Amino acid sequence: MELDDFKNTWDEIGKQVEEKQNFNPKILNKMSKSKFNSKLQKIAIPEIIASIICVGSAIYIGFQFNLLDTSLFKFIGVSTILLFILLPAISLFSVQQLYKSIDINKSYAETLKEFAVQKMKFCKLQKLNITMSYPLLALLMILVTKLFGKHTNDENAYFMIFGFCFGYVVLLFFSKWVFKKYNGIIQQTEDLLNELTA
Amino acid sequence: MFLYLFMDKKDTFIKAINKNIGLIFKVSSIYTHNNEDRNDLSQEIIYQLWKSFDSFQQKSSLSTWMYRVAMNVAIHNLKMTNRKVSTIPLDEQFINFQDIDNSEIEKKWELLRRHIESLNLLDKGIIILYLDNKSHEEIAHIIGISKSNVGTKLSRIKEKLKKQILNS
Repeated sequence: MELDDFKNTWDEIGKQVEEKQNFNPKILNKMSKSKFNSKLQKIAIPEIIASIICVGSAIYIGFQFNLLDTSLFKFIGVSTILLFILLPAISLFSVQQLYKSIDINKSYAETLKEFAVQKMKFCKLQKLNITMSYPLLALLMILVTKLFGKHTNDENAYFMIFGFCFGYVVLLFFSKWVFKKYNGIIQQTEDLLNELTA
Repeated sequence: MFLYLFMDKKDTFIKAINKNIGLIFKVSSIYTHNNEDRNDLSQEIIYQLWKSFDSFQQKSSLSTWMYRVAMNVAIHNLKMTNRKVSTIPLDEQFINFQDIDNSEIEKKWELLRRHIESLNLLDKGIIILYLDNKSHEEIAHIIGISKSNVGTKLSRIKEKLKKQILNS
């Protein structure tokens, strides 16, 4: 297949579609009445659910705050609450950036630049979120042991060692996979941006 | 009077879409990976075209304006489809392109799509307009880069595609 064949195929497929497809006022009416934005709203559902869980957890720790009897535990409690609020806030902020409406008057290159910048921001924020999960996991393990640990010190120690090891191994594999994916996207996007600004 | 003008606008728009539905199909197909996403994107393009139909001032040709809108919507849609968790229900899909009868053309079309898929988003936009026989000036106008830059980039893209074709 040569480039000229590409042109012929391009023309031919267009003609075939135009012959077969009939766009009529009924379809336009239905489309106008339907809210396309509902599709976009569905996209944020995982972030919204995760945010509710995080904020719920922060509220729960807040209610149990009187059980944290030493300054160290109080510090850990406050730090955990802050992380539980900060993490979903970052996530929702990055998703909100995707909702910006389309400006069709912009040129394709301008739209691409905006898209690339937003994509880079999104990837960096997601990476930040995962990095912050490491201290959150450590703080959470200590808090869980304090709030729910009704066993002996030895049992609590075993729970913490097992929890730390298991949690960190899972998080390590997950973050390695995600970082690899995001680093690839960032590199591609940087190349595109360089080309656009060249 | 208002109703008459509205009906007139609607008729003109529908005629314009029917005349250029192939353009919408092709752009949607290039920027998506399956039929469902393609139909979703086509709907979104038509919806955005309808919303901004008043802003079309006939400074450029209708197809040039449509390409600009369609390609901008396609880029915007990319942000969403990458994160899509649930698809729009079928009864909300108003555009459903029928299969192409000619299997030879369909095969060639798939091959063309695969080759274009390997290009980055900027090159993709340029090659789409080149395949549609747009002049360098029109490509420069839609893409938003200089005419000389279009020439340079086009020869590089053609070279890349030729190599790809030879290796396939």
